[in-house]
Amino acid sequence: MAISAATKAATDALAVNRAPTSVSAQEVHRWLQSFTWDFDKNRSKYPTKYKMANDTKEQFKLIAKEYARMESVKDERQFGSLQDVLTRIDAGNKVHPKWNETMKVISNFLEVGEYNAIAATGMLWDSASAPEQKNGYLAQTLDEIRHTNQCGYVNYYFTKHGQDAAGHNDARRTRTIGPLWKGMKRVFSDGFISGDAVECSINLQLVGEACFTNPLIVAVTEWAAANGDEITPTVFLSIETDELRHMANGYQTIVSIANDEAASKYLNTDLNNAFWTQQKYFTPVLGMMFEYGSHFKVEPWVKTWNRWVYEDWGGIWIGRLGKYGVESPASLRDAKKDAYWAHHDLFLLAYALWPTGFFRLTLPTAEEADWFEENYPGWHEHYGVIYEEWRKRGCEDPNSGFIPLMWFIENNHPIYIDRVSQVPFCPDLCKGASTLRVHEYNGKKNTFSDDWGERMWLTEPERYECQNMFEQYAGRELSEVIAELHGVRSDGKTLIAQPHTDKDGKMWTLDDIKALNCVFSDPVDAL
Amino acid sequence: MGIQIETGQRGLTDPEMQKVIADAVPEQPLESNRKMNYFVKPRGRRLSEYEILCCYTQPTPDWIPGGLDWGDWTQKFHGGRPSWGNETTEMHTTDWHKHRDPAKRWHAIYVKDKAEEWRYTQRFLKQFSADGQIRTMDPVWRDEVLNDYLGAFCFNEYGLFNSHSSASRDCLGDTLRMSIAMIGLDKVDNAQMIQLERTFIAKLVPGFPESTAEPKREWTEGAIYKGARETVQDIWQATYDWNEILWAGHQVYDAIFGQFVRREFFLRLSSYYGDNLTPFFINQMQLYHSQTKGITGDMFFHCLGDDAEFGDYNRRLMRAWTDKWLPRTVNALKDFMGIFAKIPEIEHVTTRDAIEVALTRVFDDWTEDYADKIGYKVDKAALIKTVLSGLK
Repeated sequence: MAISAATKAATDALAVNRAPTSVSAQEVHRWLQSFTWDFDKNRSKYPTKYKMANDTKEQFKLIAKEYARMESVKDERQFGSLQDVLTRIDAGNKVHPKWNETMKVISNFLEVGEYNAIAATGMLWDSASAPEQKNGYLAQTLDEIRHTNQCGYVNYYFTKHGQDAAGHNDARRTRTIGPLWKGMKRVFSDGFISGDAVECSINLQLVGEACFTNPLIVAVTEWAAANGDEITPTVFLSIETDELRHMANGYQTIVSIANDEAASKYLNTDLNNAFWTQQKYFTPVLGMMFEYGSHFKVEPWVKTWNRWVYEDWGGIWIGRLGKYGVESPASLRDAKKDAYWAHHDLFLLAYALWPTGFFRLTLPTAEEADWFEENYPGWHEHYGVIYEEWRKRGCEDPNSGFIPLMWFIENNHPIYIDRVSQVPFCPDLCKGASTLRVHEYNGKKNTFSDDWGERMWLTEPERYECQNMFEQYAGRELSEVIAELHGVRSDGKTLIAQPHTDKDGKMWTLDDIKALNCVFSDPVDAL
Repeated sequence: MGIQIETGQRGLTDPEMQKVIADAVPEQPLESNRKMNYFVKPRGRRLSEYEILCCYTQPTPDWIPGGLDWGDWTQKFHGGRPSWGNETTEMHTTDWHKHRDPAKRWHAIYVKDKAEEWRYTQRFLKQFSADGQIRTMDPVWRDEVLNDYLGAFCFNEYGLFNSHSSASRDCLGDTLRMSIAMIGLDKVDNAQMIQLERTFIAKLVPGFPESTAEPKREWTEGAIYKGARETVQDIWQATYDWNEILWAGHQVYDAIFGQFVRREFFLRLSSYYGDNLTPFFINQMQLYHSQTKGITGDMFFHCLGDDAEFGDYNRRLMRAWTDKWLPRTVNALKDFMGIFAKIPEIEHVTTRDAIEVALTRVFDDWTEDYADKIGYKVDKAALIKTVLSGLK
């Protein structure tokens, strides 16, 4: 076989060409787009009503090995801080107890989102046809494994070095007991992985990551640091360095479908549904975690929300996508109303159901009540008086024989669960916008708390059939449910959950709960 | 002090704030069990960091074996298909959470290894070029074999990489999902290393075509990779059962075709043509192959094949899948035999006798490492005869 004259000449020239050289990641990456080929069966296993363009580019131009190098450098810094300096100064025991409890929830629940995002980006990697776009999603798939492990590491660190390991050490098992879990799954689990692939991308990247990771991952570090926790900022800010690429992936998803006719028909509806889905849970839960799960306060949640969600995301980020026909969601205005009262409404219910948690909750102190009233005028008249009554009845003391759930029953304030968001609400007591709506379908009554969710359910009821905790536990005695779902500490009797973080306060046991003879019922039955 | 802080105040470093915190922290820890995931059954004597960080991150309900949650999915696909479901695979188990990567790699460990490989690759390439080692490479091997046929093998690895996308979406366990994503990344790394090698040669050998056009033409239109291309396409896009994708890709096709092409063709022959460069990259691919073999072996043989309730059924299904994918793999290898007519012949190296010995090594390994473990009867002589019938 003959070689060309040009190649022969070049080969001869090698005799004198011995400059050391290598190949950069970008020099490989520029060929990536040519790695695929056409064939009959080449289509995604996850159909989408949109058509993703074949020539979509990615912005970060990583190859596998360069990705690993970059992440490895970040890991060295992060684990170096955690394992060296933070451990030597006993950082785990210098965190305010209220925040120690908050991180049981935040870290584990973020882990759920990160874990499900592995699957979500696997689906997007399958759905995209452009190799560069696949490559961007692939890097995210690996990032999500990283973040899953990192969030786990926060709980692991608090377990090993913190003041109360219970809940940190078994959150993956005990999280399923209480009222916050199923809503978490809706936004951070199923919302990312079940549906039209582009719709899932909008949920994950355009809303979850571009909108809510700022308050969830960035703002949380300010609250953590204020309350003595330097563990969380060390990990979460390292996570956030990857999130920028994920937001860019979301942006590229939109770019890839921008010229598709389906985009003009469906994109804004999908975005609106995704935004409402995510905000319905995160707006109240994050606000509750920050304000009620801390001692030192950074700023009122409503201000954080306005800055990150309303102005930065709803205005600037979505504004940038305006040229592709993307509009700010119609539900943004309603969400803004929720940002004021919804987290206060949720805490009322979360505290009432405290025995089903995997963390300790604390009633606002007098100083905190003043802070709430100052920042949310009208708070005391509506919520403060209720907490005063609960405290007077001894809700923190196991000898009182009183948990606030009993107060709801005594006063006929039924707690319902929104079928679509799985977020609990009490229409009698909520100061936010929630109102009760009921639909019967296939012999089952479904309750809803807002227009947007109700509309999603009316369009596709088969997508939202999950049982809620009242349906699941109906007829069961409370202590029995807690014991069965492992909500006790290593002594086998003291609850992981407690209604206070007072170091001198008495801890509730299964026997204390059993003495209440509190039996679950489904309030929907009475409708 | 008040509870409203000023911007930038930190509880750990502000003395007043730290005092408030210290006064609230209990003197003794409230819980004595400091082992996270204490309820997980360890694979070894004690729970590893890998198991602590990965196990039970999957939030499946208890009707998917091994799940800790209860109830239905909170949002389903349009039409009501579940987020994750037992029906996505024909395999059965009593616990989808049982799998462990034998190398216990969580993300940090995985990227640390690969980052080291990248740094060493950069140093190696500089040394290789400064040493002028390219001068010893046979020009025909370089310009025909490496350019066209190693270049075309890039697409084989890229296609197999893509077969992991739906598997990483649909699989039912956490350790498994992480393993699948990692072995998928290794496959695209293989494809990228091939292009990296071609780009590197193009820098050293002016006129060497760096473009992927010719290799792609070979892959999509040529005869040598025809069977391989069709098999890869079917594993990637025509197979929906995520376990079958992994079985077909790793336990049959790559364990036979991939091993022959990488180890018995490029790795074995390169030194005969003065090529010291290709083995550097192929050996990285072989490392990934060996790690993947550990992962998939653990899943298919230890977890599924030895499952107390479903082991017999699973092994029978693995045999059925092998019946389906082995003939295609053998056919791919038969087509690949055409490559020997394209290279300068070296007696007892590229001739039939040596090829038969190489094939025997591959089929011996496959029989021992895969087929025997599921009781699959292999007629090695017949398989090798079929493959050799492809020699021109």
